[in-house]
Amino acid sequence: MSLLLILLPILAGAALFGLPRADTRASKIAGCAVAAITFFVPIAAGGDGNFAAHWLSRPFTASLHFAWSGPAYWIVLLLALCTFCAILGTNMTRPRVLIALLLMLEGTMMGVFEAKDVLAFALFWDLMLIPPFFALVGWGGHRETAWRYLIYNFSGGLLLLLATAAFGVLYGSTDVIGTAHQLQGAWAPWIFAGFAFAFAVKTPVFPLHTWMPPTYADSPPPMAAVVSAVQSKAGLYGFLVICLPFFSGAMAQSRWIFITLALISLLYGAYIALVQTDTKRIVAYSSLSHLGLIVLGIFSLNPVAIAGVLLYIVAHGLFSAALFLTLGYVEEREGTRSLTRLGGLGRANPKLAGAFTIAALAALGLPGLAGFAGELITLTGVFQAGLFWPALIALVPIVLASAYMLRLLQDVINGPQVEDIPQRPDLTLSEAFALAPLLAAVTVLGCYPHAVLSTVIPAAGALLK
Amino acid sequence: MIANPFTAQDWNAVAPLFIVGFTALAVLLTDLVAPKQPSRYVPVGIGIAGLAAAGIYAGSQYFAPAHDAFGGGFILGGFSIVLQAIIVVAAIFSLGLYGTIGRAQGVAGATALLLWSTSGAMLMAGAANLMTIFLGLELLSLALYCLCGLADRPASRESALKYLILSSTASGFLLFGMALLFGTSGSVALSALSSPALASNALYWVGGGLFLAGLAFKLSLVPFHVWSPDVYEGAPLPVTAFMSVVTKAATVAVFARFAYAAIAPGASAAILLPFYVIAGISMIAGNLGMLAQTDMKRLLAYSGIAQIGYIVAALAGASALGVRYAIYYLAAYAFMNLGAFATVALLSGENEEGSRIASFQGLAQRRPFLAAAMTFFLLALAGFPPTAGFLGKILILSTNVSTGYPWLAGLLVAGTAISLYAYFKVIRLMYEPHARPYAGASARAPLAYLSLAICLAALLVMTFYPLTPSNVLPLAK
Repeated sequence: MSLLLILLPILAGAALFGLPRADTRASKIAGCAVAAITFFVPIAAGGDGNFAAHWLSRPFTASLHFAWSGPAYWIVLLLALCTFCAILGTNMTRPRVLIALLLMLEGTMMGVFEAKDVLAFALFWDLMLIPPFFALVGWGGHRETAWRYLIYNFSGGLLLLLATAAFGVLYGSTDVIGTAHQLQGAWAPWIFAGFAFAFAVKTPVFPLHTWMPPTYADSPPPMAAVVSAVQSKAGLYGFLVICLPFFSGAMAQSRWIFITLALISLLYGAYIALVQTDTKRIVAYSSLSHLGLIVLGIFSLNPVAIAGVLLYIVAHGLFSAALFLTLGYVEEREGTRSLTRLGGLGRANPKLAGAFTIAALAALGLPGLAGFAGELITLTGVFQAGLFWPALIALVPIVLASAYMLRLLQDVINGPQVEDIPQRPDLTLSEAFALAPLLAAVTVLGCYPHAVLSTVIPAAGALLK
Repeated sequence: MIANPFTAQDWNAVAPLFIVGFTALAVLLTDLVAPKQPSRYVPVGIGIAGLAAAGIYAGSQYFAPAHDAFGGGFILGGFSIVLQAIIVVAAIFSLGLYGTIGRAQGVAGATALLLWSTSGAMLMAGAANLMTIFLGLELLSLALYCLCGLADRPASRESALKYLILSSTASGFLLFGMALLFGTSGSVALSALSSPALASNALYWVGGGLFLAGLAFKLSLVPFHVWSPDVYEGAPLPVTAFMSVVTKAATVAVFARFAYAAIAPGASAAILLPFYVIAGISMIAGNLGMLAQTDMKRLLAYSGIAQIGYIVAALAGASALGVRYAIYYLAAYAFMNLGAFATVALLSGENEEGSRIASFQGLAQRRPFLAAAMTFFLLALAGFPPTAGFLGKILILSTNVSTGYPWLAGLLVAGTAISLYAYFKVIRLMYEPHARPYAGASARAPLAYLSLAICLAALLVMTFYPLTPSNVLPLAK
């Protein structure tokens, strides 16, 4: 069954790509149907959908082994949900091609999160970088953005490849995700460095983040929503399922490097978000800040923090997808992303303003919405690990989050309407339906985080064993 | 009466070569009796049939025990058969491209030359003494000099002349090296060169060095690479496609035999180290060279310089797995390169104006399937999944790590990182919205479309069913 989640979207996307006559409506319905299937299959099928096929026996054994067990389960659901909402909410030019790319992105990322084999993980890792590149080529504003995305992420992908080869040679098998065994030897820190570089670029972590703000700002909003919500989690997921179980020694040694970088990401992201005037870049930098907290949680090597991280990964995915979709709608209506030109949206577009408010409040960690529980548990875990000062420093950007998110809300929704900007109609039905599931999930998860926590706590324990 | 020194088994070993050679004669004879306006499919069809027969004949012997034919001059075994298969497939696909360009006249001659060239390459695949190596190499090259000059363009004649002069010089080096090696060992057999006594003989080192330099030229490794972009650009497209795969496959075969079987124990790492160093430099320089190109054939020439570096890197350390992965990557390289050339050929008209990179602009709007296919082949060359290029790189990297050449692995990764920009520049050009996209010539070339589809399927299948040939060692007796 897990193979279905990978192949169905990829094949559907390829088919959509090859049907030049398919109209917008039909391709949207088809895309939503595929995404909905991938969402309900793991729920309905139960179990872990294990699929394994022999792949290589020399120079190391490798299998095409996929399952949605352990920490992958909730991310798989998040990915399917975000893809569904992004496709439903697409109203760009040439939607058929964009929907095809979104479906292929979903399928390839399913491969990353479901992979139980490091080589299969690396294969889909490289693949998942291609659809956003094409989206940037087809819709992006600046030539440079696509190159930056490409060069940064693919360089990471190449080091991942090298690390995978070395890992396979040393360990004898790459079919190991979900097990835990310390990799020994003089090479282990170098292999860890290769993995960590790829994951740190993808997350991103300061100073490897410079590809991220322009990518999120220039991508078409549905693509930006999925990339920021789910693709950025691939790096964190890699830290969790590859680095924690096999390189915890190397992780403990290099812990302070990553904690420092995570804290810089937290503070720097929050600071830039405070002074930026481009709406999408504000959210992009806030993402840098939030993901810094997750990296801090991972490198605290504490089970409570890891459980919090797994919860916060889902929560961040939900609200950042909602934020990028709503900001896309704002930009489509007003023709600008600049805070100095926007204003007074709330009066003309109350539904859009309402959706935007919920998403922004979740992002600043308002209790009762999804962001809060994850942040709290992660920070608790960091304290518990004895990292008193890092946890204290991490509190500062969390407070700053209120400032920059409220500033964003204030400047877009309130204030006087800017005269020369035309006021367009409120959310259409499909736009509203695209945002509703995300916001509903944000609320449910905020009030009842236990739904996710009950399964991620044992998963976190297993990762640290 | 003198007894015939050669047995039926010996002739059997080289039968595929003779099939190919006689097919060439058959092509020429058919052309003599053909009507005034011959169809280009008659010679091409006969050629493909002959190649297929030779390939099947060679393949049928794969499971038979290895045999030293002609007193060790030609070794029939898994290694030679797999390489012959790659060579034959590449020759068939190149012949398939004959349908896309040029006039029908002269196709028969071009087909015959290509077949003779192929038989030379097939000889090199199994050659295990210095004489047969040189015989195969000259047969391969002489036919190619003529083929390069066939197109009716000044660039084509320039290409032929350049190739003739430079390649002959390299052959001279090779021959001089062979003479010195023969002088030191007293035998033309490659296996005689592995005697430990030779390691202390200075002439052995000089001879080996000259021999390897000649091979490096034929493989177009940096710094012996400057001829290849010019020659590739000028030669007719099908010939370029042929050259980019067959010459390299045959030379890799010779190098593998030399590296695995003809090195004195005391000298093994030292004499080959410079060769691996230039292979590593080629990965970087070839990929850097791609960045500045405006012509697709030149770009693929530089890409080939880097790709051959990857293949040679797989042989570093002379491990049993290394030669299997080199063959795997060589087969993958053959498919990706032939596929890319098939796409370029389908876009090029009579004058090959379609091979300019600029004419790929906006291709996806007008020819979406060709653009998708080209993207796939470029991704394969860049080592992206889900193509065999990805798996091939993983296999080479793991060989380098386990045989103690991690610096080659590092250079491979660095080279690939550079190449991404060059390959994606073309991909990006094809997919960028464009006001007046170039549609390309719409040649009726079913064979080219067929070979395109086969290359696509082969690259995909090889990723998930990585068949690496197992009985390829030992390479000499």
